[in-house]
Amino acid sequence: MRISRRIKAMAPSQTVAITDKAKKLRASGVDVVALSLGEPDFDTPQHIKDAAVAAIEAGCGHYTPNAGLPELRQAICDKLRRDNGLEYKPENVIVSSGAKQSLYNALQALLDPGDEVVIPAPYWVTYPELVKLSGGVPVEVLAEDDAGFKMTPQQLDAACTDKTAAVIINSPSNPTGAVYTADELTALGEVCLRRGLTVIADEIYEKIIYDEAHASVAALLPKLKPQVVTVNGISKAYAMTGWRLGYVAGHSDLIKAMSKLQGQITFHPAAVTQHATLAALNGPEDDVVAMREEFRARRDYVVGRLSAMPGFSCLMPGGAFYAFPRISGVFGRKTGAGRALDGSPAVCEAILDEAHVALVPGSAFGAPDYLRLSYAAARQRLETALDRIENWLATLS
Amino acid sequence: METSRWQESNRIRRLPPYVFARVNRIKMEARWAGRDVIDLGMGNPDQPTPGHIVAKLCESATDPKTHRYSLSRGIPHLRRAVSEWYDRRFGVSLDPETEICATLGSKEGLCHMMLAILDEGDTVVVPNPTYPSHLYSVVIAGGNLCSVPFLEGGDFVARLSRMVEGMYPKPKLLVVSYPHNPTTVVADLALFEEIADFARFHGMMVLHDLAYSEITFDGYKAPSFLQVKGAKDFAVEMYSMSKTYSMAGWRVGFCVGNPEIVGALMRLKSYYDYGIFAPVQIAAIVALRGPQDCVRQIADTYQIRRDILVEGLNRVGWPVEKPKGTMYVWAKIPQPYADMGSMDFSVMLLKHGDVAVSPGLGFGEHGEGYVRFALVENEHRIKQAVKGIKRAFEAGG
Repeated sequence: MRISRRIKAMAPSQTVAITDKAKKLRASGVDVVALSLGEPDFDTPQHIKDAAVAAIEAGCGHYTPNAGLPELRQAICDKLRRDNGLEYKPENVIVSSGAKQSLYNALQALLDPGDEVVIPAPYWVTYPELVKLSGGVPVEVLAEDDAGFKMTPQQLDAACTDKTAAVIINSPSNPTGAVYTADELTALGEVCLRRGLTVIADEIYEKIIYDEAHASVAALLPKLKPQVVTVNGISKAYAMTGWRLGYVAGHSDLIKAMSKLQGQITFHPAAVTQHATLAALNGPEDDVVAMREEFRARRDYVVGRLSAMPGFSCLMPGGAFYAFPRISGVFGRKTGAGRALDGSPAVCEAILDEAHVALVPGSAFGAPDYLRLSYAAARQRLETALDRIENWLATLS
Repeated sequence: METSRWQESNRIRRLPPYVFARVNRIKMEARWAGRDVIDLGMGNPDQPTPGHIVAKLCESATDPKTHRYSLSRGIPHLRRAVSEWYDRRFGVSLDPETEICATLGSKEGLCHMMLAILDEGDTVVVPNPTYPSHLYSVVIAGGNLCSVPFLEGGDFVARLSRMVEGMYPKPKLLVVSYPHNPTTVVADLALFEEIADFARFHGMMVLHDLAYSEITFDGYKAPSFLQVKGAKDFAVEMYSMSKTYSMAGWRVGFCVGNPEIVGALMRLKSYYDYGIFAPVQIAAIVALRGPQDCVRQIADTYQIRRDILVEGLNRVGWPVEKPKGTMYVWAKIPQPYADMGSMDFSVMLLKHGDVAVSPGLGFGEHGEGYVRFALVENEHRIKQAVKGIKRAFEAGG
């Protein structure tokens, strides 16, 4: 079959590749600890499941409006006001099948061929691919551990050309867990305002934040707000990854354009998911808090352990559920099995094959000196994984 | 559905359920059932406060001047008495005005100290296992808690250095405590110097908990961390009257050392409390300035109990070494019970031997595999406890 150039040009997701390899190892009987996926290991809270069951029983299985149920869009407006200090009307909101689709629809609606989008690296693997699919050109700006993995306004300014249309800001960040402060966001926002850039604010990890209060860029600079596209969803906050619901809040022109596209490709997300989301957004946050606190304890444990490993160093992340240690200290060394560690893919491959822990190389996120460890796994599994990595490091020569 | 506004704070939710609750419940049930349980669980001194101290309390309580609000940081005479005591005992000079603050026991001092010096997101390094307040004072203050497996002597510093070298932002504070509860590990000045060099190198503060300085045996004398040259530049010490003078219920402790850190605690406390009831402070002055033979008597009593318990345990096939300090015996769970877990093992000793101990897990995850005996019952009853343990071993198989 002849496959289009468009799809052939897409990079396969390295996170999926490593997870597949781990699955194969596991199928062959090896006990692999998979810390490669960005999925909470908690189950969806009971009251949300109950609401979904009730909705099915009540016969929700019909089409809803394309942009989502009116009461859901209202609930999203309420949430944005309550949590983020953002005033939006339901016509400023559209729900889609996962935040990934929300992002894709937004980029499709925003970009013309050749438009540049600034993406701070380390970045979520999906951003550059979605930009390219939408005809845009991703422009990577690397901010490493010494900068707390945060792009500075000077870096953003220097990366802009007359073709720059937008910038993606992901806080808390996947893969680094970095959290931009309100001041930092304001400073970045001022550059965007001056240059007339659209800001795509991916706030999907908003509820998994440990120290700072989460800041929404659209709420910080009222003048910038019409240019801000706030993307969020339910996957991480409510452990609802498989339900597939994301949403965008922004200028009504953008929402209309996205609706046009969505109406042709997927239409609205599943009705039952929309009812479950309504329960999630309007319900108690106890489970969210309990989950976050469990993540916090794991983070402290994982960062402490990783930091103590020879050749590794680790920034204490302020949010999300990833540790992103620098591992370049082991580059150039050899494993007990004779494998040369010439970069993060080799390190992750060796750790998977020899220590049976699945991790994602930093190269997948545009930061080759690091790796990503997801601590969304039970404490005992984390302990096992870190023991194995530590023992593996001791075999290096 | 509106979320209730009346919810506990996130700070409270971060506090885990009380680990000792299960053992305590079974202990109470056994007592209600009329069984004579020997309670070596909580470190609650059973010996009376020396008579001359109690007499001073009674006398000063009749003076109406003592009935008014006292001073949060402690009355000047008390702070002077502490200064003199530190000078006599350790050769450490302290300015009573700026370097000594009275606290309502070490626990209060610790918790408020953390609030006084930590911002959300500051990292504190704490040995594990340890006195639970070392951990939870950090949690209450919103700090990040990284624990280091607690090992004896220089190995601990090596482990600590490796961890902190790979970690950034650097931790703000290191908590240490020698003689150590629950592990009974003691330090010499050389170890303190090593820890001080490490902390200075990384620009960290040190909080040393010296609660057991006078409960030492076989001629060993515990040093103060402030004996290290220049320690006052970055360290404070928490001292408590609870163990030295069997004044646990009186709630008198001190935070001494670096004037900035002590000053921060004083400032915070001036908003929190009006200080210890003045007659208690006056009695504490008498304790510090009066005859000190009672201190040796108290320690000697623990030493005799220690000998009876350790020798008894060794006789019934539980190899344990004699600690040099603290009122505890920290015992590795013997074969064939080693895999049982400290919680179940403690329950077994309670059910089949009528002896209550503290499961090691209650002092942090690295305490698993151990139990702690507190030497807070008399010689006769400790002998009885050994018999009970023998019985439990026979019944437990």
